[in-house]
Parts: sequence; C-alpha cells; structure tokens
Amino acid sequence: MDRALVQLESRLAPWRDRARACGSNDPAIRRPESRWLVEIPDVGPTCEVLLADRLLYDLQPLERDAMLAWVRANQDESGAWVDVHGRPDLSLTALAYWALAQAGDDRSSDRMLKAVRVVHALGGAQRADFEVRLWLAMAGLIEWSWLPAIPSELFLLPPQVPLSPARFSPWARGVLTPYLLIARAPARLHLADASELLLRRQGEALVAPRLTRAGLAGDLLQAFDRGVKLSRKLPRGPLPQLAQRRALRWLDELQQDHGGWFSTRPTLLSLIALRVMGARTDDPRIRRGLDYLRAARGRVRGDGDQILIAQGMSAAPLSITADLLATGLTAGDVAPMLRAQLQDPGPWQTRADAPAGGWPTEPGARSHLDLDATLSVLDALSTLAPGDPAAAPAWAASRRATAVMLAMQEGSGAFARFERGEADVFMQRLPWTDADLLAYGRPNDAVHVRLTAAVLQRLAETGLRTEDDRVRRGVEFLARTVGDRNDDVPLVTACAVAGAAGALLPDDHALRREIERRIRVRQRDDGSFGSLHDTAAALGALTDLGHACVQAQRAARHLVAALERDPDAFVNGRTTHDGGPGLSPDTLDPTAAARRSAQVLRRHAALAAQVTELRS
Amino acid sequence: MKPIHAHYDVVIIGAGLAGCATARALVQADPHSTRRILVVDRYPGVHPRFSGEWIHPRGAAVLDALGFHGPLREAGAIEVDGFAAFENADASYVDLAYAEVEGERARGLSVHHKVLVRTLRAELRREGRVELVEGVTACELRRDASGRFCGVVFEDGKGVTSEVACDLVVAADGKGSNVRKLAGIEDRRETVGFTAGVEVRNATLPAPTYAHVMLGAWGPVLAYPIHREPDGTILTRITFDLPRELPAKGEAIKHYLLRAFVPFIPAPLSEQVAAAILARKGPLEMAPTVDLPAPPAVLPGLVLVGDAAGCSHPITASGMTMGLRDAETLGEQARRRQATPIGEPWLDDEALRRYRVEHDRYVPTRQALATAIYEAFRGETEGARAIRRALFDYWQSGPTARRRSMALLSCAELRPSVFLSEYLRTAGHALNVSLIPKHASHYPVADRVRQARGAAKLARDKLGLVANVVWAQLRPSWMQTEPRPLRIRTPRAAAGPSAPAAGPAE
Repeated sequence: MDRALVQLESRLAPWRDRARACGSNDPAIRRPESRWLVEIPDVGPTCEVLLADRLLYDLQPLERDAMLAWVRANQDESGAWVDVHGRPDLSLTALAYWALAQAGDDRSSDRMLKAVRVVHALGGAQRADFEVRLWLAMAGLIEWSWLPAIPSELFLLPPQVPLSPARFSPWARGVLTPYLLIARAPARLHLADASELLLRRQGEALVAPRLTRAGLAGDLLQAFDRGVKLSRKLPRGPLPQLAQRRALRWLDELQQDHGGWFSTRPTLLSLIALRVMGARTDDPRIRRGLDYLRAARGRVRGDGDQILIAQGMSAAPLSITADLLATGLTAGDVAPMLRAQLQDPGPWQTRADAPAGGWPTEPGARSHLDLDATLSVLDALSTLAPGDPAAAPAWAASRRATAVMLAMQEGSGAFARFERGEADVFMQRLPWTDADLLAYGRPNDAVHVRLTAAVLQRLAETGLRTEDDRVRRGVEFLARTVGDRNDDVPLVTACAVAGAAGALLPDDHALRREIERRIRVRQRDDGSFGSLHDTAAALGALTDLGHACVQAQRAARHLVAALERDPDAFVNGRTTHDGGPGLSPDTLDPTAAARRSAQVLRRHAALAAQVTELRS
Repeated sequence: MKPIHAHYDVVIIGAGLAGCATARALVQADPHSTRRILVVDRYPGVHPRFSGEWIHPRGAAVLDALGFHGPLREAGAIEVDGFAAFENADASYVDLAYAEVEGERARGLSVHHKVLVRTLRAELRREGRVELVEGVTACELRRDASGRFCGVVFEDGKGVTSEVACDLVVAADGKGSNVRKLAGIEDRRETVGFTAGVEVRNATLPAPTYAHVMLGAWGPVLAYPIHREPDGTILTRITFDLPRELPAKGEAIKHYLLRAFVPFIPAPLSEQVAAAILARKGPLEMAPTVDLPAPPAVLPGLVLVGDAAGCSHPITASGMTMGLRDAETLGEQARRRQATPIGEPWLDDEALRRYRVEHDRYVPTRQALATAIYEAFRGETEGARAIRRALFDYWQSGPTARRRSMALLSCAELRPSVFLSEYLRTAGHALNVSLIPKHASHYPVADRVRQARGAAKLARDKLGLVANVVWAQLRPSWMQTEPRPLRIRTPRAAAGPSAPAAGPAE
C-alpha cells in the first residue's frame, strides 16, 4: 500500500505542476502550448470561440488550427459529436459542423455529410439548445422570434422582485444580460451558411419551434411571448433604452478581475454584445475578455504528437487545482490560493448574510462565490502543518469561508453553490422550454445533495454538531432527499452523504445505516464499485463511516492493483465531473480518480493500522 | 496530620479560595481570638486540576479587605482591566472595561490558581490564627438530636479517622462538594462540557490586561494573563470550551483543538497557541464545566460557600468573586455576633438565615447571566445567534450600554430594574438585528422571520429566569425561610445524639 501511495503521488506530480501553472500570473507559463487543461469540456465552447472569431478577430492561425483539430478529433464514427458521457448531442454536432464548415472543411466529405444526417435525425438545428439558436439567429438563418423574448423592462425591476434578472442564477444572468443587448440590436454576424443544418420538409418553409411546453399554461405563455414581441413594435417610451443602459452597466460591473465574465460562455456573449453595441476590438474590456478566453485554453491529449487545443470552461478551476495541490501541498502553493479568496462584496451577498470570504470558481473572479471551490481549497489548506508560517493566514481565510458557508444555507437546509435561490428561480416555474437555463439545477438534485453533504462534513471538522440548528436542518434535508429517492441515489452522492453521516451522526442513526447499506450492496465481485473513481469514493465513504472492513480492504486492493497494472491510465482517466452551470454542465476530469485514491488510500491505511493496534 | 482540638467553633472543609477567604473573614470578625477555626483540605498541596483564576473588582476589593491582595500581587498576580469581547477573530474587540463601572474598584485580579491557593494557605499559616490541616477528607458529618450538624469525621490518606465537634460546618469544597453529599443535599449538578487549558508564555494579546473572549468556534475561547514571573515573563491562560461528548480523547484532543478552535483565534495569538498545544508534553489540562442550580446554602449548623453553593459556566468568570462575596457576607454575620459569649454558637440560625438572604440575592443573577451568555456565545440556535449579534450590537451602541452590562457581569450591580432593563434592551436589539441583516442587501423575508421568531422564542423562554432573578432581589427577607434540617432517611428509627448524616435528602 505504501509503495502504491508513493507511486501515485509521484505520478500526480506533473499534474500538480499543471495546476500551479493554471494559477500562475506568469503569461509565459500560462501559454496554451505549455499548459494542459485540468478540466476538459465538450467541443461546444471551442466551436463557439471559432465562430465568434469572425467578429472578434483574435485567434492566431496555429491556435485556430489546433482548435479545429480538437473539434475534428472528437467526432464520433457515427458522425455525431458526443458529450462527455459519450451520448450524441444535437447542439454539439450542429456547432461543430458549423465551425468546421466555416473553416473550409469539405461539406461533401463523408464525415460532414454524416454530421448533417445526425443533426437532421435529431430534429434539425432549430431544435438545438438556446445557444445554437442564438448563433443561427445572429447568422440570419432563423428569425429572432424563434428565441424566447425577455421583456427588457425586467432589467429595471428592483432585485427583490421575483421576476428580476437579479434572481436568476449567476450563469443565467451572465448569458441573458448580453442576450438582451444582442437581441435588441439585433446582431448580424457574417458566418458561413449553415442552412443545411435546419430541417425542412420538401417545399415547405421552416416552422417556428414552440418556445413553451404543451398545455394550457404553455399556450398562455406562448401568447404572452407573442404579445411581448408585438409590443416591441409599439412605442414604449424611454423604458427600453433605460433597460439597455442598465444591462450595459451590468456588463461593465460584472467583468471580473481575470477579464472574463462568469465563465467562458457568458464571456463570449458579453464580448459579442459589446461589439454589437459599438465597442472596437481594441476596447480594453474586449482585450481583457479575449485574454481570459485565451487563458482558459489549453492542450488536451490527442492521438500521436498532434497538438490539440480546447477551450476550457474556466482558466483554472479552483476545485480541481486545489484538489491536485492537496496531494502534495508546498509552502508556495498557499499564497496563490489565499490571493484568490473573495475580498470584495459580490452579488452572492444579496441573500447571504456574511462578510466577503470563500473562493470563486477560478482565481480572479472577484464577484462570484463558488462553495464547491471553497470546500476544495479548505480541504487543501487543512493539510497544512500547524507550525507552517502560512498557517495563520490560512486559518483566517478558513474562518471567513466557514461564515460564508453557513450563510449560504437555504431555508430547506440545503446549501447553495453560487448564490442562494440559484435552484429555485421563480421564472423557471413558467413553462418555457428553456426555463431550466435560468436556474442552477433543482433544489433537491444530486448536485445540491452532494454539496450539502460536503459542507456538513466540513462544518463537522470545525466542531459543529447536530445540536446546532443549521447542521440539524442540513441533516434533515439529506435524510429527506435521500429517503425520497429509494435506491436511485448515484453512488458518488451516496458516498458524500456517508461522509457527512460519519462525521455527524451516531452509529445507529437511520440515515447512516441506510446510506451504508446502499453503498455496500454496490460492490462487485472484483472488489470495485464500478469505475476507479466510484471505487475510491466508496472506499472513502466506508472509511468515513469508521470501517476498515473486508469490503473496504477489497476496494483498496482493487485500486492498488489497478494502479500497478496501468499507472498511466490511472492518472489520465475519464471521470466525468458533472454539475457545472449552463450548456456544457459536464466536463472530463482526468485526475479525479487518482486524486481521490491518493486521499482515501492514505486514510484507509491509517484507520486499518488503528484497528489492528486496538485488536492487538 | 490531625486536628489538634476536639471542638471548633467553625470547621471549614476546603482550603481553596472560598475556604481560605472565609477563614480569614471569620478571623477578622474575631478580634480577640476567642474562636477556634479549623480549615481542612483533601490535597496536601494544591488541587491538581486547573480552576478559576479571574477575580472581578468586587472580589478584588474583598481580597484587599481580607489582606490577601498584596501577597497575591507579590506572588505574581496581575491586576486586570476588563473584558475584550471578539464577535469573531476578524472584528475589532468590544472594550468592556471595569473602569467604566461607577462606584466600583477599577481593576480586578487574575492569578494562577495554584499560586493563588498556595499564597492564601501560606498567609493563613503565617497568621497562625487558623488551624490548617491538609491531606484529610471529611467522610462523615455528625448531627445532634435536633438534626443540627455538630461534628465532622475525617479520614487521612492512610485510612486513619479522627472526629471533631463543631458549632458550624462550612462547605467550601467546590462544585463537586463531598460535604453536600454527606449532608444529604440533592446533587443537581449537570456536566455541560469540559474546559481544556494551556499556558502561553508572553502571548501577544490585543489588550494585555484584559480577558479576551473569542467567539466563532464551537465554544468560546478565553485568553487572559494569569501570572507575572520575577523576570517579567507573563503567563497567559487559554481555555477552550469543549462539548460534553468529547469529540476526541487523549492526544487527539490536541489535533481537534488545532483544527476546530485555533483558526478562530486572531493572529498572531493563534500561532502562539498552536505552538503551545504542540509543545505540551502529556495530556492537556482539562476540567469539567458544571451547571449547579443553587442548592439551599444553609442548613442548621452547615453553610455552603463558593462553588459548593452553586456554580455555572465560567464564561462570566464570576465564580471566584461569588466565593469571595460569600466569605465577606459570612464574615459580616460573624462580626455582628462577635460579642456572643463562649459556649453559644457564634453563627446561630438567625445569622445563617441572614447569610442566606444575602447569598440568594446575588447568586441567581450570576447564574442567570452565565447561562444566558454562554447560550448566546455558543450560538446553536437562531435565537441564541440573534442574542449574540444583539449583545455586540448593543455594546457597540455606546459607553452607557457597556457600563451597564459590565456592572452586571462583574457582579457590581444587583438592582432588579437594571437587570430587567438590560434584558429588554437586549431582546429589542435581538429582534432588530434579526430583521435587519448586516451584509445581505435583499435578505429573504422568510429568513428574517425565522430569525426573529428564534429570538422571540429565546426571549420568551428566558422570562422565567428573569422573573426569578428579579424576585430574588425584591423578595422581602421575612419571606426567606428559617434554615430547617433536611429529613434524613436513616437506617435506625431514632438518631442518636451524634448520628451520622447519611443518605439522600427526601
């Protein structure tokens, strides 16, 4: 076991270097040629950057070629582009085809024809997600009326009004604010013709897609949508201009220190909106935004020696970089993490009563809290020795983050990731087909259950127990949601709940026993619990529950055997990291299994040694 | 070592602060040295467990009057100026200075507990008017036919017993009082948690002569200077409030403190505390935190003083001051009866009744304050957190608020009107801070209502406590009952003239 741990930690060393490069301020280190992405999304953001370059004129030829190579390399044999789970995706296929067509790829080639067939088989580009339809509208291929109408007056509402865009999730705000400006202009981009992606019956005109769900409520909303669009033709006084000015001001205010907006897609749309509103390509806001997009690009693994560049969702996701650094934290790693903590007021404080603290999704995002990243950084900082010179500032940052975590608790007992109310947006209840974009998940979804469990486990580390009503409400939320779902709780979610239960609940507590049962029954004959990541998570859960039992030992042996069999594959895995905001919610996390294994094998070994000592 | 005489006027069991102070107060009330006073303690040196070390100005005044203040200062005690309360480690502290309290001494005293006990015992020995016997335990109390306590049986470390007769037994043997048990007084002690302590040399305290109360962790962390060494080095005591179900045992408790408490201490003190914890060889000093609702402080022939007569969480640091006030009150009663002829009890039932009337006036206030403040500082419920925010909000509202609170906290203020008005003001601030959050600009109404309901519920729950305190101040002394013997269940039908007082109270 010890030998395996040493090997694993040394194998992770190059990834730690990449994580350090991600957080580095040195532009030389951050160049995409010298940097691997630690989190790899689908081809969607890359395609959009390629399309938007018609307006932004930023990509270097080599860079463009490497990005196009990445898009081509990801095409499935069926002709489709698949999401990170390997499922054919209409929106990705439409965007990828379009980006390649614009780059001059032969549309009559077999793979391009296959792609068009896939798009048609899936209903045509007009059925793709909001983002693709926005591109189609900007290219003049579909009517703007095929996109949902947002009354511009909404932007004039005070934040406490449920209809105000301030109540959307931060990602949705980051997308819809530039969308308002783009749609009002309206924008017209000279992109390659991709009308073949639209499905039309022979001799028939395109039929506008339905923007609302079926049913009376949907019909009424559709009528309202048309009403809004018609009302745009009527004089409305100064309100639209005022709303536009407000939206522009939001764009200025929400540009982060790193140059981008919330993440890649909001940044791209904000840049387009600024251009549409008359900003030149040398405008400082546009230059900073483009620099952010470039920093969020990196090399990814391709076949042979080919250099492939992908557009990441963020420059340096703190949740992953902190996790990587925690496997071998050095004194020099602490200062960048501490620099990244939130120190200024942000929109997350609108409904969370705590002073600034915690960490954002990536360094430089001064306004956006991310509880997931906060937990990762806290875990990394907790590995610091108490005598370390950096310990005191790390403690100060940790206690501020603890206050922030507590303030992010919803009334239901769950914890919000970015902003309170992010999963329960009033406008989401309306029967829009795109309504889910307005919120970040659902209040009881697996992402929020996992986050809540992780926060509770972290709070238990600081000494809080179920006597505290906030912890008690969190535990009740877990019991309620996990209990509701019978056995369909994802293993990783169950393992997170086990972590909280192990830290907070007595051995005979119903939730603790139930979650343990659900984990134990999933072990397979070979000792694994599915993928390497799932096995590591399950081993961690059993350790959190205080078991160094036969099942835990078999899981540990399975991990060690897999590491010894193919160490390279172990640290370059295909674990999906689900639950991001927006249109590419899932990403590939190559080192997730290795990171988790390094952590849990060490803890399992310590627990097993304790048990042996007690028995002897 | 055994008592010299067969009969004493007063036998004081427990030679800690309360016991020694009571002995000295009685000595001062007997200027002609006509009375015999015996003080015994089970530990030949000092109690191995760390204990109270902070004395409010009101207690320091008593120490001064008893002649202990000077010797304690010479032994390394430090004069202290008040409390520095931190709502969290990033906030500036609220200065709760003793000097603000009108009509009171401006400085209290802080002293290492072991130094304190050694010094007081040395003073008693030096004076020679009190017989001090260490290393013996009271194992039985004797009663006369009327049920009045009239003697004590002692046992030394070798199991040898000796018996003395006396007119009055004073139980000063702390919160776990053995005498209380022997007297058949119901033990209503509840262990609410533990206190772990470490000592830090030359700690960097934001206010060097203050007791620092630092919130944010599971329980409050206290830091206060306790000893000045001859070379000028200052020893600072750091205490951590731990839950009753200890989350870790043995060495692991150190790692727990480093993880769960030290981050909530402002730098650079946090680093010094971490270093002190890591450098400590062996287990940390620990003591249980006990809540003991005040038992009847007086029975015929028996008086309880100090923690034996009721104690609460040490958050208000009032335990030692209360013990000193008990000693002072008992001394006053003894002085009133200094002309009593030899042969008659020095402190008769009427004197004990007057002691109890006075004792029952200040003890409920202290216990109510300690319980309420501890609950608020722990902040386990919406209401408690609202009260905590309200307290800081109130203290920051101006010097008058701080002065009034400090008068209550330092046991200088007993007027029920002040207690009641402080309660109402705090409740009002709690409602206010619940409805108007500090940072959130558009805090959900549901959250505001939940917080306000929590605060209102806590305020309502405390009404009984407040009424109890107010009534304790207003109650006319004639309503205070005479000390009556407890009915004792004895194995024999009729107790003899010196029947042992054993068995629980009915």
